[in-house]
Amino acid sequence: MTGIRYFDIRHVRGEVTHIDSENGRVESAGTSFLDRAIVRVLGPKGWGILSLDTFERPGRENLDEILERGSRLASLTQQEVVLADVPSGTIPVPPLKEDPRSIDLPEKEGFLLEIEKAARMTGITSTRASYIERFEDVYFGDSSGNEYSYTICRCGYSVLAVAVRGGEMQMGYRRRHALQDFPLRHMQDDGRKAARRALALLDAKRPRGGRMNVILDPELAGVFAHEAVGHASEADLVQEGGSVLGGRIGHAIGSDCVTIIDDPTLPEFGFEPVDAEGSVVGPTEIIKKGVLNAYLHSRETLAAVGHGHAGNARAMPGEPPQVRMSNTYIREGDSSVDEVIAECRRGIFLIGTRGGQVDPGRGVFQFNAECGYIIENGECGQMVRDVSLSGEILSTLHGISLCAGDRRMHEGYCGKGGQSVPVSDGAPHVLLHDAVVGGSGSD
Amino acid sequence: MDLIEKILSAGNAKADEVEIYLSTGRSVTARLKRREISYAAGSDNKSLAIRVISGGKIGVSSTSNPGRWEPCLDAALRSAQLANAQEWKGLPRPDPAGGGWINFDQTLIPDPARAGGLLQDMVEGAGAYPVEITSGSAEISRFSTVLANTNGLFREDRESLVSIGLEAIREQSTGYEFETSWKADIDAVEVGRRAAFLASSSAGGRDIPTGTYDVILSPVALAQLVEACIIPALSGRNVHEGRSRLAPLLGEEVFDPALTLTDDPFHPRGTGSCLWDGEGSVTRRLPFIERGVLRCFAYDLKTAYRYGKESTGSAVRSGMGGGISIGVHCATLDGPRCNLADEEGIWVHDVVGAHTANPLTGDFSVELSNAFLTRGGHFEYPIKSAMLTGNVFEMLKGTEGISREERVVGAFVLPSIRLKNQRIIGN
Repeated sequence: MTGIRYFDIRHVRGEVTHIDSENGRVESAGTSFLDRAIVRVLGPKGWGILSLDTFERPGRENLDEILERGSRLASLTQQEVVLADVPSGTIPVPPLKEDPRSIDLPEKEGFLLEIEKAARMTGITSTRASYIERFEDVYFGDSSGNEYSYTICRCGYSVLAVAVRGGEMQMGYRRRHALQDFPLRHMQDDGRKAARRALALLDAKRPRGGRMNVILDPELAGVFAHEAVGHASEADLVQEGGSVLGGRIGHAIGSDCVTIIDDPTLPEFGFEPVDAEGSVVGPTEIIKKGVLNAYLHSRETLAAVGHGHAGNARAMPGEPPQVRMSNTYIREGDSSVDEVIAECRRGIFLIGTRGGQVDPGRGVFQFNAECGYIIENGECGQMVRDVSLSGEILSTLHGISLCAGDRRMHEGYCGKGGQSVPVSDGAPHVLLHDAVVGGSGSD
Repeated sequence: MDLIEKILSAGNAKADEVEIYLSTGRSVTARLKRREISYAAGSDNKSLAIRVISGGKIGVSSTSNPGRWEPCLDAALRSAQLANAQEWKGLPRPDPAGGGWINFDQTLIPDPARAGGLLQDMVEGAGAYPVEITSGSAEISRFSTVLANTNGLFREDRESLVSIGLEAIREQSTGYEFETSWKADIDAVEVGRRAAFLASSSAGGRDIPTGTYDVILSPVALAQLVEACIIPALSGRNVHEGRSRLAPLLGEEVFDPALTLTDDPFHPRGTGSCLWDGEGSVTRRLPFIERGVLRCFAYDLKTAYRYGKESTGSAVRSGMGGGISIGVHCATLDGPRCNLADEEGIWVHDVVGAHTANPLTGDFSVELSNAFLTRGGHFEYPIKSAMLTGNVFEMLKGTEGISREERVVGAFVLPSIRLKNQRIIGN
């Protein structure tokens, strides 16, 4: 075959076990199987990519046929793709703390039902819990002779409680995910916390939106780092001209207490032992003391854009790699949480997250808190609900004036381009001056 | 056929009923980076989902390797042992009305060159305005599915889909437009032109003060809010499990009396239109909300049997392996049609963060994307940054009309809608 400059194969086989329970009944429980591969062929210009279900790792003859198909697709491309020459290799996957496969499904059901049962307090009218366990056997090989394989386990559960009083209905939820561990033991307290949150929200008021000082708890501040900074630092967007952070390396884009890091080597939910194109993974200081320092990269974007290192190409099984975050966090400061609240004086304290979204080209983000508290005279007061935060990335980062010393990480999934990958976000409590808060209250 | 009969036969020996859902498909995708095609991809997809029922216990499993169906069947049988038993009156039987497919265009062939041509057309269309193209994609796919069960039901379906999108930017103003259809009728030049128009005309936006405004939501913005809050509240499962605020309101007025919300599985433009649902029940038009009054909820077989209802043909297959959930095939909104932009208001093309709305209560706060102050049928000026905040259920109680034009957005075919007195948080 002529014109093939490079190819790689990423093949994932795995098992996904789930349990769904609702109001004390097991609705569904069982195991499904996945077997998907992605083959990328770099032709004279760009990529030809094949996504294949039911994949048998090819011998020489089959490989030629697959590469021929990829080559034909690549011949349609116009953009000359260059791959940066970067180190390839893996780091060890952290050992399993407790192997979920050693626990049978009925026992797992029992643990989950106990968590759900703990949520059924007086005033709670509906509960739901779910568990998911995913084992993936990943193989990577490329035309440069690099070959890696590893097995990784990710599990998680969530519990939801619905409280009703009169015509009011509110929900509270807790969710946890674990890397290389079984997370269901002794977690009934999460059921109780979900229920208490739902009940408390019945008495919370809707805040009146507007500009005000805001304290973000570590979970929501982590979402802020992810949505407002992480996505805009993904260099595929920078390469396309679709990120407000493009061309700003070396610029002060935030206050000097802001340092934001992405690190796939941390043994958190977004851990990767090697990225989806075989590159060595490592930490990236995206913002260093308020100054934009680096972007997140694949080999292609590193060659095209520069500033950083490869190792952030990630992919769902059978999907092409994209530049993605892994474990992203705001570095802790040296203030106490009490100091952060006192410094806020008047504003709102936002807690937990219902998710967020960003338009990286426009530089605008939005995310929603699970609840909050009005702050008056430097003290927490009335609980509020259905409150969100939006703003412009570049001005908002300058509004961060204090970071506490209590960073915590929270796990979740991040969507981009139709793919969802495991990530974690983290931060300490953060004080944000003069932010736009959304709420539909009238007083 | 052999594979399906083999699985049904092996499963029938161990369970009361067995259902197979086998999906095979091919798709091609081409992507733009700026103005050039950076990659072309082809995809061969297969998936097999097995459901078994024994003594009212339902077990499920799926695999992306149908050749390895035996472990999948074993897993489904084990899954059934773990589930709680429920009232169960059987999987659907063959329907004498026969079959056929209603959203398959045989001229829509997954040809990479054709996908590349759609991208070029969008680039051409975007040339109408002074913008930079950041990215774009075009995908053409064909799927065939077989749904079979041990009651003798065997339904074969074919679907085609073309989906394109383009993102453009001018200074710091972005515009994204897209189009999806099951037939080869999309105008890629026009999609490119619209994306460029949004980016170009949103540049130089002005701040607006916080206050109450009349708001016109485009089908794109409306679909996201309806999907986040209204559709989950119409699911029979959420209704009976205590997670829908509409549960006690059957027969009562919940929308503006001028509005009718329907699931129309036979809509000629619906990309999810179908003659039978994901488990083989015959589909029908469901007038969820008729002239403002809540008329019905959506059910699949499992939920219907449990609560003494009838399936409304609302089972949809989604996710890896095609698991069953309750959903809509093609939701439509009808009401008084008029020119929405004649009077002053804020026209909103898109919103950021609709998925963060509270699905139980309907409360939301979203950032506006490509919003304009309109007056006398014209865009007066773009709005730089503002939030729309409110409650989806309350919002739809007072409308001032819907547009004559409609567009396909996911599982919806929707018009624009004009809403009175909405709260906007400006800068």
